[in-house]
Amino acid sequence: MSEGMIIFGAWVAAALTLFLFSFLYKDNPFFKVAEHLFIGAGMGWYFQTVYYKIMVPKILEPLNSGTGFEIAMVIIPSILGLSLITQFIPKISWISRYGFTFLMGYSAGMAIPVGLATDFMNQVLGTIEPFANFFSLSGFEMFNALIIAIGTVCVLFYFFFSVEHKGVGKKVSNIGIYFLMVYFGASFGNTVMARFSLLYGRFDTLVNYSSAKYLYATSWIAAGLTLFFVAEKLVKTLTKAESAE
Amino acid sequence: MKLFKKQIPLAIVFVFGLVTLASYYVPHRTSEEYLDVMNSWENIVSAFGFFLGLISLFYAHYNKIKRKVDGWGYSLFVYIGFLLMVIPAVYSNGKQINPDASITWLGWAYRYIYNPLQATMFSILAFYIISTAYRSFRIKSLQAFVLFVAAFILILGRIPVGQMIWDQLFGFTKVTTGQAIDWVIGVPSTAGKRGIMIGVAIGAIVTSLKIIFGIERQYMGKD
Repeated sequence: MSEGMIIFGAWVAAALTLFLFSFLYKDNPFFKVAEHLFIGAGMGWYFQTVYYKIMVPKILEPLNSGTGFEIAMVIIPSILGLSLITQFIPKISWISRYGFTFLMGYSAGMAIPVGLATDFMNQVLGTIEPFANFFSLSGFEMFNALIIAIGTVCVLFYFFFSVEHKGVGKKVSNIGIYFLMVYFGASFGNTVMARFSLLYGRFDTLVNYSSAKYLYATSWIAAGLTLFFVAEKLVKTLTKAESAE
Repeated sequence: MKLFKKQIPLAIVFVFGLVTLASYYVPHRTSEEYLDVMNSWENIVSAFGFFLGLISLFYAHYNKIKRKVDGWGYSLFVYIGFLLMVIPAVYSNGKQINPDASITWLGWAYRYIYNPLQATMFSILAFYIISTAYRSFRIKSLQAFVLFVAAFILILGRIPVGQMIWDQLFGFTKVTTGQAIDWVIGVPSTAGKRGIMIGVAIGAIVTSLKIIFGIERQYMGKD
């Protein structure tokens, strides 16, 4: 890639970044252009990923050079996949059920052992495992193991609706809510920090692209956007004043 | 017609669901090969599913352009954005990096078009999260206070000013912000998460069984 293309790329990246950030001031045509480009580019990216990572190695190559069995193993799912496209033809849209039912059947069949192993058994094991050697733990570890076990049971009880939550049950359920609140708070905090780290990354890129090496891309584009918004405001003010007269 | 419209699709769910489930627990080469083949089939059918979404998106924007609805011009940029990624991909044969470690046209498009758009779009959410935080952190009850404290420790504990405040207020305890964060995530938050995960797992297993046995069939649509 030539140096010129890299500088051009910096200008494109800085422009797209600032166009999207301009939404923080107000909705505007630059944001809408970048937003629609994002939708298209996102689909384009996934399209090429699907084509080069799935279609070529798993369909086109076996069809070109596979044995009879391998070709059959490609044609059957391809027909099931093509059946999905009949969704667009109302009269025969029921054919798409063949593709969907295969996906649902396979996913449901996989979801049971995977859910059972990772989400159910592992979580139960993680909760009760410390009690296997409870008295060899330190005081603080014992305390933590008890908190986790009590919290897990209370949260599970909160989601258990087969008995009415009253009396002791209500208290247990209420304790469960506090553990849920800690989890939600921690998740919220993590999400905030993840978004902010992305934001720092974008600012860092913008600062980088404002250097002489990239011909001050960020500065020029930011100045252009500012001029546009000032001019737009001026035109609006003048038009308002004229109509008032 | 009922046979083709309803019974065969339900039979497909039942057979594939049960055989996949059984194969997972049968330690035999045939069942492993079956799972490999099914995984490949699932990838292929899902790929066509992606095309379903793509055609649907293009059709929606084509209609906007055709009917010249408000802002139809922006719809053109959906197609432009798509081509900006696909043409370099075809030219680069789906590769982002050349053998000499330089970036290809696809790598260029990813680095200077898709990545800035994606990262900025998600980073903008940081600003909206702040306004959401203001609303959710209005402490009206003890439960809201607990949520606030957990989030506060997680957010402030990871930045230098938060660590300074922590040292001033709780320095005497000799507990660092890192240790406090680890404890919140590792103990009470884990308890909450485990309860949810176990509940979700039970829900997913029950729903899967309902799908396999044809009790849940909303995905089949009407008719």
